[in-house]
Amino acid sequence: MKNNAKVVIIGGGISGVAIAYNLAKMGETDVIVLEKDHLASGATGRCGAGIRQQWGTKMNCLMAKKSIEFFETAKEELDYDGDLQFKQKGYLLVSSTKEEDKEFEQNVILQNKIGIPARKITKKEALKIVPHLNPDAFYGAAFCPTDGHLNPFTTTDAFYKAAKRMGITFYTQTEVLDIKTKNKKITEVITTNGSIKTETVVNAAGGHSYNIGQMVGLDLPVYSENHEILVTEAVEQMQGPMVISFSQNFYCQQTPHGSFIMGRGEPDKKPGLNVESTHLFLDRMSKTITKILPKIGELRLVRQWGGLYNISPDHQPIYGPVKEVKGFYLAIGFSGHGFMFAPVTGMIIAEMILKKPFSIDISGLTIDRFEKGNITIEGNVV
Amino acid sequence: MRISSHPILKFNRDKELSFIFDGRKLVGYEGETIAAALHANNIKVLGHSSVKHRPRGFYCAIGNCTSCNMIVNDEPNVRTCITLLEDGMVVKTQSNKGELK
Repeated sequence: MKNNAKVVIIGGGISGVAIAYNLAKMGETDVIVLEKDHLASGATGRCGAGIRQQWGTKMNCLMAKKSIEFFETAKEELDYDGDLQFKQKGYLLVSSTKEEDKEFEQNVILQNKIGIPARKITKKEALKIVPHLNPDAFYGAAFCPTDGHLNPFTTTDAFYKAAKRMGITFYTQTEVLDIKTKNKKITEVITTNGSIKTETVVNAAGGHSYNIGQMVGLDLPVYSENHEILVTEAVEQMQGPMVISFSQNFYCQQTPHGSFIMGRGEPDKKPGLNVESTHLFLDRMSKTITKILPKIGELRLVRQWGGLYNISPDHQPIYGPVKEVKGFYLAIGFSGHGFMFAPVTGMIIAEMILKKPFSIDISGLTIDRFEKGNITIEGNVV
Repeated sequence: MRISSHPILKFNRDKELSFIFDGRKLVGYEGETIAAALHANNIKVLGHSSVKHRPRGFYCAIGNCTSCNMIVNDEPNVRTCITLLEDGMVVKTQSNKGELK
């Protein structure tokens, strides 16, 4: 094991591999990525695999747009010989009430200003896009045709292989036990396989990012929550877009393979690090989905699992350095959307570390926003 | 083929049922599964895989592996190894993932 590096990235999920790739692309290859299990073993490999641009805050819209632009050419840019299973058939947001429908209208105006091709549509138009929607179970809709799907495993693999080709070092099955500091500066990372001298650490530990923060004495404003999800048997393609509702609290998408992936948020979740599967979720999920998409009820369930949302106070990521410890960077608090924002996460964190100009202005996403108190809460989350 | 006489086991055939397999009229017995009736008629290719279109046949016989999935009375992905034959059933080989109508 290498015992020193310019940068140590903690977390081999999509954020960690994307940051590593961007550092290498910008010329810094003295980088080690540490992962306590295997790559994409945490939230990345457990996520709903959707990518969307229809957000309620400007910052999230900007990041999502930039990320989708990357995904559109990711296979070529990362020179990947596998299949990213990129599908760009859109996201269909369905509303439940007139009030929610009005909010969609407002959001579409914001999205269009930024250049996101979303549009507010009627129930009739929604039924044309997804004919098996139950017309009695929703009010109106918004649609963005360039949203879609990617396979989180192959996408992680693509970033990993590209980064590795350029000289980045990856250690999996290597857990971080402690981070040593001296005079408020990072000095060393202690792992289960030895220690690494470094002055720069990136906390990209997803669900475990709070615990990594504790190692340098920080009380980060994030917590984790188990969100459950299931997959059905595969059938021929019948649903282009992801169908999602914030008020009905679900999302459901058919993957290119043909299976349906769906999940929902539970109102009575307790913070913690467990990723258990419950029968309660199956019961609620099947009732929710058969109401809005009755036909899906004919499919058999194949598998269910849970994964961690790492939630920030405003449901937007927290990027960048902290004032308490020099050399400690955050890429945390994605609130369930770390996979789809990963291209931007990679660019931004690498640019911060290497002191380069930013690809997009993320000044609103540093941790000091919570001190200043002027936060905008993202409401468009499941 | 069917075993009709056996030194130890007895096979009491129930009522004869007729069914259609890919346009052919075939005969089976009440109490057998669709896959068993097809095998007795020497039909061993029950479908084709959806990607490489290789023949698929009887495999796990307990409704787990999906190798025997067929279209039965217009319904795709019916596990014929655990579904009992009925009189007049229309059974078709399936060569894709199944279309939900």
